[in-house]
Amino acid sequence: MQIHSREYPKRAREGGDVRASVTGATLSFDARRRAAFAGVAAEEWRVWAEGVKTHLLTHLDRYLEEAEARLEANGARVHWAGSQEDVHRILSAIIERRGARRAVKGKSMLSEELEVNELLEKRGVDVLETDLGEYILQLLEQPPSHIVGPAIHLSLDEIRRLYHETHGTELDATPDELAGVSRLILREAFLAADVGITGGNFLVAETGTVALIENEGNIRLTTSAPPVHVALVGIEKLLPRWSDLAVFLQLTARAATGQPVGNYVSMIHGPRTADDPDGPEEVHVVLVDNGRTDVLADPEAWEALRCVRCGACLNACPVYRQTGGHAYGAVYSGPIGSVLNPGLAGLHAAMPLPFASSLCGACEEACPVRIPIPELLLSWRRRAVEAGMDSRAKAGLLRAWTAVATRPGLYRAAGAMLHTLPEPVRRVPLPVVGGWREVRADPEPSPTSFRELWREGIE
Amino acid sequence: MRQRILGRVRQALRDRPPVPHPGALDTAAPDAPPPVEHFADCFRAAGGEVHRFADADAARRWLRAFAARFDSVSHGTGVPRVLAVPAPEGPPREAALGVSVARAAAAQSGSLVLSSRDGRRTQLLPPVHVVLVDSGTVAGTLGEALAACRDDGGAALALHSGPSKSADIGQVMVTGVHGPGRVIAILLDDWPAP
Repeated sequence: MQIHSREYPKRAREGGDVRASVTGATLSFDARRRAAFAGVAAEEWRVWAEGVKTHLLTHLDRYLEEAEARLEANGARVHWAGSQEDVHRILSAIIERRGARRAVKGKSMLSEELEVNELLEKRGVDVLETDLGEYILQLLEQPPSHIVGPAIHLSLDEIRRLYHETHGTELDATPDELAGVSRLILREAFLAADVGITGGNFLVAETGTVALIENEGNIRLTTSAPPVHVALVGIEKLLPRWSDLAVFLQLTARAATGQPVGNYVSMIHGPRTADDPDGPEEVHVVLVDNGRTDVLADPEAWEALRCVRCGACLNACPVYRQTGGHAYGAVYSGPIGSVLNPGLAGLHAAMPLPFASSLCGACEEACPVRIPIPELLLSWRRRAVEAGMDSRAKAGLLRAWTAVATRPGLYRAAGAMLHTLPEPVRRVPLPVVGGWREVRADPEPSPTSFRELWREGIE
Repeated sequence: MRQRILGRVRQALRDRPPVPHPGALDTAAPDAPPPVEHFADCFRAAGGEVHRFADADAARRWLRAFAARFDSVSHGTGVPRVLAVPAPEGPPREAALGVSVARAAAAQSGSLVLSSRDGRRTQLLPPVHVVLVDSGTVAGTLGEALAACRDDGGAALALHSGPSKSADIGQVMVTGVHGPGRVIAILLDDWPAP
């Protein structure tokens, strides 16, 4: 997984042009999530889901073996991939054996992480993203900016212009017309494809079932029409029991979009049986590590592996709402990305993402599996400072502040001094807060300090 | 690679105390309406259509009138002969109407449970999808509905909980994107004997 997070501060400030679209979409997702959870015993569901995922992770070896055995009994082929290179090797072998020239894909963050499209193109396979948002992004050669709504940073007018240039539609075409054009192209692609590639929201160990949630029907078609289906599943996506699945499907949909359940759920046990009139003759499930066992070994960060990729923390985050997902420079953006990326790709590669948060706690409150995201952000920050990865100027400034603020006499004196500083001295450019001051007016010192007001009695 | 990944998992968990499974969670709401009515409400709320009939004769009359508007139909393999729609049979990719049978339904989430044994193309390719449901198979919760279908025997199960939709184009809701734009659940209180 490639991470380009170094430019985060700069890109975050440049995010103005996506702000309206991102803020509108995330606020609407967030409101629908709240409404959907108001109707059920939300806290009981969350505590239960946290318990199931924690149980799963602390018995992961056993459940991986069980899932493999069940899938193979169902007739599916199971592959194990430690890294992106392993995944590419496995996919290349399937493509070569089948002589595959055309592939359709369902939206999958893992496939973004593993750069699957780049591999397919290199192998001469025509690959089409079939989720409407992903299809638009493929035309624009952009990565997704949100886990659930990959193209929420684009306005209707931007998409109209794109379709006008690429498909010759009118500049005032309705969303229905634009969707209709996409449907015609993608319908042919589904029926002509040699292979369908998806991720997996869940893999039930007990029954060997890959479960996929969506709204458009493109994943249903990707897993039904082509003769081969390949599902890429992160090893943390397992669920122990069939009876766990029903709750996780509803929990994830409510958290992601506020729906009682995803409009379509595919539950795939294996390839077409003698009783099935259609469906793929080969089903491959690729169990992917790619850094996940490193995160599992981490005494703090392993809690992030409970994540069900609902995007609720992105929608709740006041920072994400301002910047959109691209600023983060990584496949996983927003609060969960800032705690997952350092674990998956190394803290050095993911800097300064753990600092891209105000620690307000909205993410943890929204998380359906109760991942303590602010705590994990602080853990990564601590490690970054200890390893000397964070700005030395900031560390010095904070040390100086601590020295003053923990000594009442010194604090008083410093306060009084700040007061009397002449204007030009106060305007001196400072490290760290420079960016903040660029877009904000400096506060004027009050003629009376808080201490003085307090002594006089605040009204 | 299998042994390496499993070894890394075991190594990672060496000092991690195991946590027990919390057991099954009952999501049933104590004040939920009867399942069939509740299903109809939830399915309609997601944009689906629902008709309920006492028996096969009543359903057949409705289906005959409804199907008159369609040139061709694709039937799922499990559709009872007496409920087949009188229109020329076409392949799913060309048919204007798909008719399937639900294995079960879930009221709480407004979901139809469909089996791959009935034919996935019929469930997905025609722009209008009629799903026949035995009222006796409508469960209160999704958990109950899925428990009843665990040993279905086909390659896959699916939940269809409304027409195909997307808000990916400028956050405006569009229906019928890839799957059927219209989905109609026909509830039969007295399911015909095979």
